[in-house]
Amino acid sequence: MAFAPSGPEASFFEVLDQHRASLLATLRRGGGEPAGGGTRLASSSEVLASIENIIQDVITSLARNEAPAFTIDNRSSWENIKFEDSVGLHMISHCTTRKIKSDSPKSVKNFALILKILSTIYKLVQSNTYATKRDIYYTDSQLFGNQTVVDNIINDISCMLKVPRRSLHILSTSKGLIAGNLRYIEEDGTKVNCTCATAVPVSSNIQGIRNLITDAKFLLIVEKDATFQRLLDDNFCNKMSPCIMVTGKGVPDLNTRLLVKKLWDTFHIPVFSLVDADPHGIEIMCIYKYGSMAMSFEAHNLTVPAIRWLGLLPSDIKRLNIPKSTLIPMTKRDQMKLDSILKRPYVTCQPFWRKEMEIMGDSKMKAEIQALTFLSSDYLSRVYLPNKLKFGGWI
Amino acid sequence: MEGTAAAVCEILKYLIIHWKCETAEVSKGALLEGQLVISIEALNSKHQANTLHCVTTIASAGSIYGGLVLKKFLKEIQSILHGFSAKLNWTSEEASYSQDTSGVTPFQMIFEVDEKPKTLMTDCLIIKNFLHKIIIVLPKIRFNFSVKVNGIFSMEIFEAENEPTLNLSNGIALVVNYQHYVSAPKFGTTELLCSRIHPVLGHPVVLFIPDDVAGMGLLGELILTPAAALCPCPKVFSNQLNRISSISIFLYGPLGLPLILPSQEQPTAAIFKDTSYFIDWKKYHLCVVPNLDLNLDGDLVLPDVSYQVESSEGDQSQNMDPQGQTLLLFLFVDFHSRFPVQQMELWGVQTLLTTHLSAIFMESHSAVQDSIQITVGQVLEHHHQAVKAHQKLQASLSVAVNSIMSIMTGSTSSSFRKICLQTLQATDTQEFRTKLHKSFHETTQHRFLHHCSCEVKQQLLPERDDAEQSTEDAHENSSLELLAGTSGQVGNKRLKGSSLHQGVEETRAFRSAGALSPSEAARRRAEATVSPLTPSRSRTGPGSGLEDALWLQEVSNLSEWLSPGPRP
Repeated sequence: MAFAPSGPEASFFEVLDQHRASLLATLRRGGGEPAGGGTRLASSSEVLASIENIIQDVITSLARNEAPAFTIDNRSSWENIKFEDSVGLHMISHCTTRKIKSDSPKSVKNFALILKILSTIYKLVQSNTYATKRDIYYTDSQLFGNQTVVDNIINDISCMLKVPRRSLHILSTSKGLIAGNLRYIEEDGTKVNCTCATAVPVSSNIQGIRNLITDAKFLLIVEKDATFQRLLDDNFCNKMSPCIMVTGKGVPDLNTRLLVKKLWDTFHIPVFSLVDADPHGIEIMCIYKYGSMAMSFEAHNLTVPAIRWLGLLPSDIKRLNIPKSTLIPMTKRDQMKLDSILKRPYVTCQPFWRKEMEIMGDSKMKAEIQALTFLSSDYLSRVYLPNKLKFGGWI
Repeated sequence: MEGTAAAVCEILKYLIIHWKCETAEVSKGALLEGQLVISIEALNSKHQANTLHCVTTIASAGSIYGGLVLKKFLKEIQSILHGFSAKLNWTSEEASYSQDTSGVTPFQMIFEVDEKPKTLMTDCLIIKNFLHKIIIVLPKIRFNFSVKVNGIFSMEIFEAENEPTLNLSNGIALVVNYQHYVSAPKFGTTELLCSRIHPVLGHPVVLFIPDDVAGMGLLGELILTPAAALCPCPKVFSNQLNRISSISIFLYGPLGLPLILPSQEQPTAAIFKDTSYFIDWKKYHLCVVPNLDLNLDGDLVLPDVSYQVESSEGDQSQNMDPQGQTLLLFLFVDFHSRFPVQQMELWGVQTLLTTHLSAIFMESHSAVQDSIQITVGQVLEHHHQAVKAHQKLQASLSVAVNSIMSIMTGSTSSSFRKICLQTLQATDTQEFRTKLHKSFHETTQHRFLHHCSCEVKQQLLPERDDAEQSTEDAHENSSLELLAGTSGQVGNKRLKGSSLHQGVEETRAFRSAGALSPSEAARRRAEATVSPLTPSRSRTGPGSGLEDALWLQEVSNLSEWLSPGPRP
């Protein structure tokens, strides 16, 4: 092992090791990782051929004097999404679709923009160059109008061609950070060591990462950058070494999710989430664990159903006697979000999560992780997390 | 204006007023229906050189003129025509009419006048225009107009019975077939997909009679109702039609009788010489000048007032296609009374309007201006929206074409490129681009044809499943348009080589397209109804009281182009 010994004694990680063993056993019972469905890595020639097929279809329609149209899966419809414990939320195989017609006043612009972005992707793949979604937006910002239009069309194309965004040579901008016991080599040969004092930005080319090396006993996903930085400042990675910490700074970007998935797939180490005790935090945690509706077509590459909720649990608030003055009343929006999460299919198989959410709903109060600082300034890194990890305080 | 034309026009006006009053009790608000025959036979005068002795006969085919008191008629007509220089010799009243065994009394009157050939020619053109103006608001009246000059015969039939109309108030309807107003050949058949105009009715306003012309003792009100439309339909997506190039104004009095005759001295329309008297064209960025070059000899109904829109400086760089669209403005002045309107009262109103229209309009300038301005504004706003929607569509199609071209020309797969070229039957990428653009254009137009409210079939057929209807309409609409373009053509079919000139070779007479079977005629007749806005209105016919809902729906459809659609 290449890392210098630090952190607690080996006995500290007993429960963690047992948990890992349990996870591995589950994986073995389930026949290993579920086969990747929905999207698959495609070669450049495959992507080019797919785009040419689409163009041919368009031209054939025109030759028949029919207005061409694209058939797009309804990614944003719950009726097209199913839940599987081993995968999370993912699109059903025969889902409802919508047509983007060229002869409809409402959709002709979208039709044209899809062709525009297809032509951009075509050039990127042909030239083996990459661009971010933002780059694409700025190629003609006036035409596109706003970034969301570009993002949605790119996701639609990815879903339509059934290839991940990476295969389209479109990168998503990473905003996440990672720190801890981890080394790897980027596709361009850059060696990355995450053990340095400051965190390392999540790579924009997760699929190109190779030679991942770690001794980490667990991976901690931290919702907020503020909390992440606090843990860095408290030298948490060394105190709890060997471990890895990652944050998506709120709702995670694609690359952060891909990295978490890659670390799980490679090492099968326990993954825990540290989020605020509020509906927003729970939703973020669910994105890592079960996926999002928008990216459900790529769920197999993004979700880590093995994630456990470490904290801040609503039941911790009462257990730790966190002062009520540090709590925040839930807003109507919070309540609606909580109700929405409770109705989601994956909550039914998480009775402990449901219970925690019901505690939150009943109290009508929420709490940030920073509430723990009212107990002591370093309570999070010195007491809360170590106890949770040592005694299995996750659900 | 010369004798024959003036006489014919005034006589016809009188007859129509009489006809309307006679039938008012029987069919209130219904369109006048019947046939009138006007014939002029001209032979070289035996007494004067270079002069034709013209015998004009006006006859009706039915009993519509029962009750016409001939003495009174002649007296009143002569009082109208006494100012004209031509000598009119009336036939005796005993010879004016005859009775057949059925007891029906057809009407016929004959008068004679000597005229120069050129004068006769002008008169004939004036009469033709007058008849054309009448049938576009009284479409169920049919006129047979024949001219025989030194044995050379020509005839035209004026009718619009089978054409789509917009019902207005008080028994008149406006024919909405664009071909009456704009020449068809200027628009390629591939581009002109909507054969109708879509008039927007303005709010009626009461007209006040100036004190110096009052004194008629009218027991009612004069109501002006403007109607405006762009011609051709603004939903035709052609670069030619993005601009408005001309404005045509038509003035009608009660019962749909034209107020102005061509070549007439124009005190009646003097106020329109000031193009901005009623309409502030600058609001619409239009530079409008009077157009004095009105061609009497044309197939189109001649406007009473014509303006030309001059191009702004910004258009200089563009192709100066003079075609553009024409803004049609119809000003209907009607007479409304709580009491049954007598014939003489109507005749008096008609006379009042023909002689003092300018003064009457000036008296109510503000109200007239507001009503016309709002009406025109609505139409131009629709046009503006249509132009914007068209531009949006063109921009999108351009992006689509460029994107496909980028992929096609950038592909290293020769089989892919070959298939693309072969599919559109193009020999090279330049031709491919042209065909690609054209194909997109045509498929998009096809969609808008389906949505066009102009299609008769959509109005007459029972409701169907939408998918089924869209498929069927796609086929039937195009064939319907072809049908409209051929068999149902405007009643003034000009004879080949119609001879109003002396010495022209032989011509032949034919009837207009009466080839339509009754069921076909019924199928093709479409009468969009409009809520009569006049205060004291009579029943307007089938579906009265409804707005032109289909046109309004199309306008709202246009707005779809301008509002952001859902994200993909």
